Amino acid sequence: MNAAPLCRRPLGCLKTSLRQARQQNVLFGRTMATATETPAAAERTPGSSMLPDHNFYQLMDTKTKKLRSAFAVYTPPTINTTLTTPLKPLKGIRKGGMRPLPPAAPLPGLLKAPSDPMPLLHAAQIKRMDPTGARAKLFEKTRHGVRPGDVLLVTHRRNREPFAGVCISVRRAGIDTAVLLRTALSKVGVEMWYKVYNKNVAGIEIIKRPRRRVRRARLTYMRLPKHDPGNQTELVLEWKKSRKALLSKAGAAKKGGKKNAKKAKAGAVAVVGKK
Amino acid sequence: MLQLKSLINCIDNSGAAIVECVMIVGQKRHASIGDRIVCVVQKQRPGQAEVMGASSSGNKVKRGDIRHAVIVRTRQQVTRRDGSAVRFDDNACVLINKAGDPVGSRINGIVGQELRKKKWSKILSMAPMQA
Repeated sequence: MNAAPLCRRPLGCLKTSLRQARQQNVLFGRTMATATETPAAAERTPGSSMLPDHNFYQLMDTKTKKLRSAFAVYTPPTINTTLTTPLKPLKGIRKGGMRPLPPAAPLPGLLKAPSDPMPLLHAAQIKRMDPTGARAKLFEKTRHGVRPGDVLLVTHRRNREPFAGVCISVRRAGIDTAVLLRTALSKVGVEMWYKVYNKNVAGIEIIKRPRRRVRRARLTYMRLPKHDPGNQTELVLEWKKSRKALLSKAGAAKKGGKKNAKKAKAGAVAVVGKK
Repeated sequence: MLQLKSLINCIDNSGAAIVECVMIVGQKRHASIGDRIVCVVQKQRPGQAEVMGASSSGNKVKRGDIRHAVIVRTRQQVTRRDGSAVRFDDNACVLINKAGDPVGSRINGIVGQELRKKKWSKILSMAPMQA
């Protein structure tokens, strides 16, 4: 060690000795790591423990004041059944929380493959958005349901004009079921997607069905000028007239208009114009 | 989805028939319904005064004029908040001045309802239909 710097900085030697000690500490720590293992840890063999040996992901539960593991460790049920000896609850990890399962106990809930939750979710949502089931019935895959080629009239709630158009395609996707309508307004082709189960859609009515069954699911050829169906307002007027005539026959000609408006407000979907 | 060089129909009576987009004002993306663009008039509508030989009083804009415009229809489908979507068969716009007032006095044709959200109420009130 150089003497000159020691004279100027008397505590300099402390620095060097501390550094040496630190280096040694590191060395010894490495070489003697196996000796510092606790007997409790040594007892645990990897197969017997449900949780990994390290416990850095344990958390103190604020409500129960107990240690809990922050991550759920998934163990397949087959491992549990093959184990013959009951497991000891680990120290520190929530007592009584991890109980060994009896070896012979079957686990029907876990052994079965979980069923797809999406159809259930869709059904629940459809039931909420369409409690009467009228919309679902209108879009059933039967003869009476909406098919591409039908002319539909969609009444919207948000002070928009009712939109009539030829149904080009039906997107069947549970709660997201939608129809694509095409018409020409002021000589410009307009296409609208409408969600069937949307509450803003007050009503969907079939105005006209094609004479011949359409043999395509997507009538995109109707975008071509040759096959463009064009404006549907005449059909709508005709249909309204015929409906009025029907209502007047029943002796409710005066009430008809009001009644229908009310019906549309209540979200009723009518299947009219069945051929 | 209108961008630089897009050719757009002009549906008002300002005198322009087809305009070319040269810039989209206030954003660095493609323009949709209700967006403001800068455009060049490429094709004029034949005005009545022009036929007579005098200066075209009916046509407020000439070919080569640089004007602002608002998109009112797009071929690209525009989805609305309630999940419904609208798509037109052509791209159309209405010329406006720098203050945002329409140059023409009449609009021939349907316009998209997105204009209401973007607060183009003057254009909406001039339009014969909304979809």
